[in-house]
Amino acid sequence: MKLLLAEDTADLNRALTAILRHEGYAVDSVFDGEEALRHIQTDSYDAIILDIMMPRMNGITVLREARNLNIITPVLLLTAKAEIDDRVDGLDAGADDYLTKPFSMKELLARVRALTRRGTTYNPDDIRYRDVSLRSESFELVCENTVRLSVKEFELLQTLMLNPGKTIETSFLIGHIWNGEPDATPETVDLYVSFLNRKLRAVSSKIEISGDKEQGYSLE
Amino acid sequence: MAYLEQEIDKIRTDLKASLGMDPVEHCLARIKTEESMREKCRRNNLPETEESALGAIHDAIGLRIVCAFVDDIYAIRDRIRALPDVSVVREKDYIRHAKPNGYRSYHMILQLPDGYFAEIQLRTISMDTWAALEHHLKYKRDTGPQTDLIIQELKRCADELASTDLSMQTIRDMIQDRTGQDAPDNGKPPIGLTDK
Repeated sequence: MKLLLAEDTADLNRALTAILRHEGYAVDSVFDGEEALRHIQTDSYDAIILDIMMPRMNGITVLREARNLNIITPVLLLTAKAEIDDRVDGLDAGADDYLTKPFSMKELLARVRALTRRGTTYNPDDIRYRDVSLRSESFELVCENTVRLSVKEFELLQTLMLNPGKTIETSFLIGHIWNGEPDATPETVDLYVSFLNRKLRAVSSKIEISGDKEQGYSLE
Repeated sequence: MAYLEQEIDKIRTDLKASLGMDPVEHCLARIKTEESMREKCRRNNLPETEESALGAIHDAIGLRIVCAFVDDIYAIRDRIRALPDVSVVREKDYIRHAKPNGYRSYHMILQLPDGYFAEIQLRTISMDTWAALEHHLKYKRDTGPQTDLIIQELKRCADELASTDLSMQTIRDMIQDRTGQDAPDNGKPPIGLTDK
């Protein structure tokens, strides 16, 4: 499980990072909003913890930008102010949960567990990318022609379409789409990428998934 | 028709040698019956004469070639296009652009050396299965409120079968890639002979 932590208070950042790592999470920690957004755009996380009051770009703006980019990773907001408006803004911007400072570590950990368990429920209906659309209700891949995808093919393409141009690690795909099933290997992912590329060609789409199992995959 | 079947047989033998498997599952030839020919003339406002039957109607001779994999269809099509004594009058790729009901097949109208026309339909086993089963369902007569649902669900079946066809093709490509990699005749040393 990989987390992004954005908190500008150095001591708190260090303490949270240490505790989360101790709990077995891989943590990328940053100290301002711009850096947080850069990480969100270039890497994939299981959950993101965002402080609202941060230099350069506040947490709510970061969150809004991320949601605009179709990034559906669960987000927990940290707020120093116990003001209702702050929480409402945060939730409306696409946060999944919030925690008011000061908070207990025990509660933070429980909320992170809940968020990562919930998975990606923030889900737009139909996704479009360049010449193709992916219909969530029917699992149809549509361009000049239509084919029906299997569940795994759909989830894999959805993940790639929601992160266009971003290379997604094979291990992340195994963890999220195959839920770490013991039978799922990098070869499985590679085969499914081949299935999808052939199906994209069959509907006459110009998009293609590139990459390999060592480097990860991305949609160009 | 004997000529056409003979040519198709040759194509099949050639491709069998290069693919290591027969690309054709089965082949079906038919000549339109007099009754069905007269019916088609009437439907198209043509006189019920020999000229209409052999000149204006292009599917007096019909050949359906059912292939194992999608790529085989295009391989056979390319070979038919290259036949020296046959001219291709028209082609319709209902695989690339499936009909709205989900029907998939590759249609070619050919003019044979004797001047007669023949229609060739190329499809995979799945496409053939769908067309055959869809034909059995007499839903078109039924005007009940379920008709739309039935049409929609048949289209879904067609799209799922098409998806499976493409997966099977990808698996064949993967197997052939592997075999190609392991084969000693592709310039790479065979497994076991590489330096450690």
